[in-house]
Amino acid sequence: MNLRSGWLAVPGFICIAALATMLSAYSGASSSEGYAPEQPVAFRHTIHVDTLKMNCLYCHFSANRSPDPGLPAVGTCMGCHTVVAGSSPGNKAEIQKLAAYWNKKEPVPWVRIHKLPEYVHFPHMRHVNAGVTCQTCHGDVQKMKTVYQASSLNMGWCVNCHIGQSNPPFRARYDCASCHY
Amino acid sequence: MTDSTGVKRRDFLKVLGAGTAATTMLGCGSEQVEKLIPYLVSPDQTVPGVSTYYATTCRECAAGCGVIAETRDGRTIKLEGNPDHPVNRGALCARGQSALQGLYNPDRYRRPMARRGGALVSVTWDEALRLFAQKLGETRSRGAAANALFINQHETGSFPGFLDAWLAGFGMPAHLSYDAGGEHAVVAANRQSYGTGWPRLDFKAARLVVSFGADFLDTWGAVVPQQLDFADARADAERAPRLVYVGPRRSLTGLNADQWIDCRPGGELALVRLLAGQTSAEEAAATSGVNASVLAAFAREFTDTTPSMVLAGGGGSTALEIALAVGALNQSRGNVGVTIKPAEGYLGFEGMSAPAELRAAAERMNSGGVSLLMVRGANPVFSLPKAVGFGAAMAKVPFKVSFSSYPDETSELADLILPDHHPLEQWGDAEPVRGTLSLQQPTMDPVFDTRATSDVLIALAKRDPSAAARYPLPDYRSWLTSRFPGGATALTASLPRALASGSLGGSATPRPIPASRIPAAIEQSSGNMFLVVYPHPLIGDGRGANKPWLQEIPDPVTKICWQTVAEMNPATADRMGFANGDHVTVRTAAGSITLPVLRYPGVQRDTVAIATGRGHQHSGRYAKAGLNPLEILPANEDRAGGVAYVSTRAEVTRASGHSPIVTTEGSPRQHGRGIGRAVTLAELRTSATAHDAGAANATEVAPQGDAAEAAPQAGGHGPAPAGGSGHGAPVAGDASHEFLPGLRAPVANDAQGEQGDPRSNEKGMYDPNHWSGMAKRRWAMTVDLARCTGCSACVTACYAENNIPTVGADWQHGPVMPDRTGFGANIVRSREMAWIRIERYYEGGEDGSADFETRFVPMMCQHCGNAPCEPVCPVYATYHAPDGLNVQVYNRCVGTRYCSNNCPYKVRYFNWYGYGEPNRSQYAFPEPLNWQLNPDVTVRGKGVMEKCTFCVQRIREAENRAASEKRPLQTDEFTTACAASCPSRAITFGDAADENWTVTQMARDARAYHVFEELNTYTAVVYLKKVSHPTAGSPVSQ
Repeated sequence: MNLRSGWLAVPGFICIAALATMLSAYSGASSSEGYAPEQPVAFRHTIHVDTLKMNCLYCHFSANRSPDPGLPAVGTCMGCHTVVAGSSPGNKAEIQKLAAYWNKKEPVPWVRIHKLPEYVHFPHMRHVNAGVTCQTCHGDVQKMKTVYQASSLNMGWCVNCHIGQSNPPFRARYDCASCHY
Repeated sequence: MTDSTGVKRRDFLKVLGAGTAATTMLGCGSEQVEKLIPYLVSPDQTVPGVSTYYATTCRECAAGCGVIAETRDGRTIKLEGNPDHPVNRGALCARGQSALQGLYNPDRYRRPMARRGGALVSVTWDEALRLFAQKLGETRSRGAAANALFINQHETGSFPGFLDAWLAGFGMPAHLSYDAGGEHAVVAANRQSYGTGWPRLDFKAARLVVSFGADFLDTWGAVVPQQLDFADARADAERAPRLVYVGPRRSLTGLNADQWIDCRPGGELALVRLLAGQTSAEEAAATSGVNASVLAAFAREFTDTTPSMVLAGGGGSTALEIALAVGALNQSRGNVGVTIKPAEGYLGFEGMSAPAELRAAAERMNSGGVSLLMVRGANPVFSLPKAVGFGAAMAKVPFKVSFSSYPDETSELADLILPDHHPLEQWGDAEPVRGTLSLQQPTMDPVFDTRATSDVLIALAKRDPSAAARYPLPDYRSWLTSRFPGGATALTASLPRALASGSLGGSATPRPIPASRIPAAIEQSSGNMFLVVYPHPLIGDGRGANKPWLQEIPDPVTKICWQTVAEMNPATADRMGFANGDHVTVRTAAGSITLPVLRYPGVQRDTVAIATGRGHQHSGRYAKAGLNPLEILPANEDRAGGVAYVSTRAEVTRASGHSPIVTTEGSPRQHGRGIGRAVTLAELRTSATAHDAGAANATEVAPQGDAAEAAPQAGGHGPAPAGGSGHGAPVAGDASHEFLPGLRAPVANDAQGEQGDPRSNEKGMYDPNHWSGMAKRRWAMTVDLARCTGCSACVTACYAENNIPTVGADWQHGPVMPDRTGFGANIVRSREMAWIRIERYYEGGEDGSADFETRFVPMMCQHCGNAPCEPVCPVYATYHAPDGLNVQVYNRCVGTRYCSNNCPYKVRYFNWYGYGEPNRSQYAFPEPLNWQLNPDVTVRGKGVMEKCTFCVQRIREAENRAASEKRPLQTDEFTTACAASCPSRAITFGDAADENWTVTQMARDARAYHVFEELNTYTAVVYLKKVSHPTAGSPVSQ
């Protein structure tokens, strides 16, 4: 490869890089699927949801009435945990971390796992009210010791569902401006 | 790979491998750890992601409009008019919308400050209050309390009374209630003529309105209700009043007039006398410089027309005489009580202190007669003529306290700054009309460590043993509650609308007219031109100067942004050899400034006009743009003590240099393009008859399928409305109504058909019978040009709703063109950014005469059914949605700008720099301006095309709400931001495929047309022609 041919390769390189970006986006290569960060308090969905059978909406209180699912206030946690101290030493330690935040009047700095780009608008309530379960997108959270991103959340993954359903109430629009605006 | 390129197959594969690796790394490396911060305790009544609405009162001017503040997750993000409020009835002007940029202003004082060693340094509230209390004590112990001075920004409600009681408690005199933009002469004359400071103007009852420089659509009094009433009156073509504007400069009100009498400054009084029959047309012509035959016809028309309405303004040194003569004229013509209604007046303008009182105060300060100066909200150093010397006089005051929320020229000279809450953060009240209490409540927690002045005063009183007993309540809110008729329960009950009947006894009493400094007649001053200084219609007296929206939105009249220009008549400029942008020096006895010339045909030939409001030194980063003509204005007053803005001649001479004019305007003329059209009443009547005949035919002739011919005759109609409403048969205007939005819009027929698989009949969501029903709708808009006054409230509302960046600040341009710097550099390069703009065109007057008409055309994306932008996009970033929207998908856009090149309406705007990216120098939303960003709308990044979306986020929100409530979307359930704010009610938005929506009815008006209909763009925006009312023989229409 001499100098001249190298210069000619530059436009080709750019085209290919663009192509590769698109391919990687559609194939999910840039998704953060499986992302399972460590949280400041090791909150156990397994205990709360699977064992205690708490409804998701108890804590994620606006998932059926807002685009935003809602994140429980520290006060909501302390509603029970002023009296529930935990049964095992490990759980006790985590609940004490929570109580420490509460006593310092500081919110728990949870690490965000599910994040759509800002040019996508996802109304939780439309999905929840249509009967799409939380698990459809978030996976079996009630079985996760550490919550991770169960789906790619890429556009292809969204659209597969939007065009794949033919019956109410699950059928959904797939026009770009349904989500992108 | 061929040898001709010199790239071998192996090299190609190497490059391919490298490319993939690079993109994969980019893909993984861009992730950031983001935190989710919960509330500690959930606030009541709020749902994350869903807006809460608080009703409160706008304090941007004294009128006291009601606003509804949309608050999302604790931050106020949008203001709209309160539909129940008697003053603004749901509308909100540009200045009201921009209150948000005051609330989130990046230059706001963040905490109290005190002067230590010459510089202002941050202190705690406790230190600040202790210092203030100490100085108060010293002043009293010296026996100098009677020489203290408190200047408050003029407002109505109970605070002025509360303040005076507080001052009296410390032995200090009552405060001065200052409003630089106040129409002091008009208020004084109104009180004498009509018994009230500001009567309601019933434009509907009038047949002829004559305005002597009364800019009732710009800054003159209760602008929003006046505009609502004026637009309502003008929309009824048959009964619309003719508007004649008399004055040396056509303001926005002047441009809305049917006739302009370009009277020389100082000649107005002669014209009032002419109307009163006290002088002849010839004599009046000699004084005013207007053709005698025009004046004779004007006087004849006035004599022949009843009822009429004559209004005075203009701000000259004879303002009081003119206003009194006008009052007498209205009385003699029997207009009082008919068109001018004192019983329904607005109270916001009562009790203003005249600038003469401040001038007198400055003289006292100069002689050492003021011991303590306190200023809240007002900025007299800037807004009084520099010749008054207020700033210099302040240096003689031992201790100066400012309660300003923002740095300004006055607070810059203060010794102690106790920053006030923004009006959206504090409690208060106003009494805008008699018997109505308009409440002001906090819409969010304070942005910074500020405190309401009312609370500071209470806290200070509590520190003083002698005063503490009078203030048993903890704060101003409790004080208000204790006085509220019905107490706390009634107050809480009235908060949802922020309205109550009754009064807190806050009505101000009229002040005596102070001794004024009256200049000699304007003719006797020296200079080659008359100088007209006028308040900027958006920035006002300078209060709005640090709000980038108000700097960037072009002046509705001159279309200038970020710049101060000297407006001269083109004929005069030709005579003196000035092109647009040539520098001139304007010199008066008080000083001189050098600024570029703007050739504006709406200026009288012997006059140079300059807007106030810009050219601040110490009011923040955006306010530095432009120049301040008050620096060359002599300290003259009218007999009511108001600043005489038109009181001197000036010497205008050429200066070296040239600046490009910062304007968004392409051409002020339409060049036969028919963008803004008009009909006369006579033409409208004739065409209505013709259309009635045409409509009869249309019922027999089947609608033509091929709508390509824009035949102006009334032959082709859309299908007759099913379930016909009371609006009658479909009447066509000049537009062929196949093009009107509706079920026959081509989007429903061919969008997917052509671009989809040609072998398939499957049209998906583009099939009107598709289950989603998307293609059953056709979102559309009508703009009634008979109503539109060009005020630009819609533009401001759009900036607020759609996160539109301002691009004209002097650090927002790129480095590549060093000759294009300074404020507005991007705009000079036509890189403006406004999803909706107001185009302003002149018709007639090409010969330089004053007889020209103006058309205002709000221009936004037309959402064409057959959009030229769509087929040229190489990446399908713009496409047509089944519900009629022309969609721009930001994340698809790669920035080729082909769409913008191909758009005949030029409504697509490109992000040349990273205006939405916080880490770039061009960032348009420096903290905390970004708190105002609408979370429902994407903030666009660099290299992306954007444009009006018809507020798609509001469409989706309404659809989501309807779906959640398991009901269909209701008729007129929501509207766009521009339509919601419009104080002329000119914009209607809705589903044009549904008979019941108002927009469908509006689009059937006989005046309906599409801009560039001949291009077959099938636009979704329907304009209704302006109805002009020319004098007999005037060349107008089409």
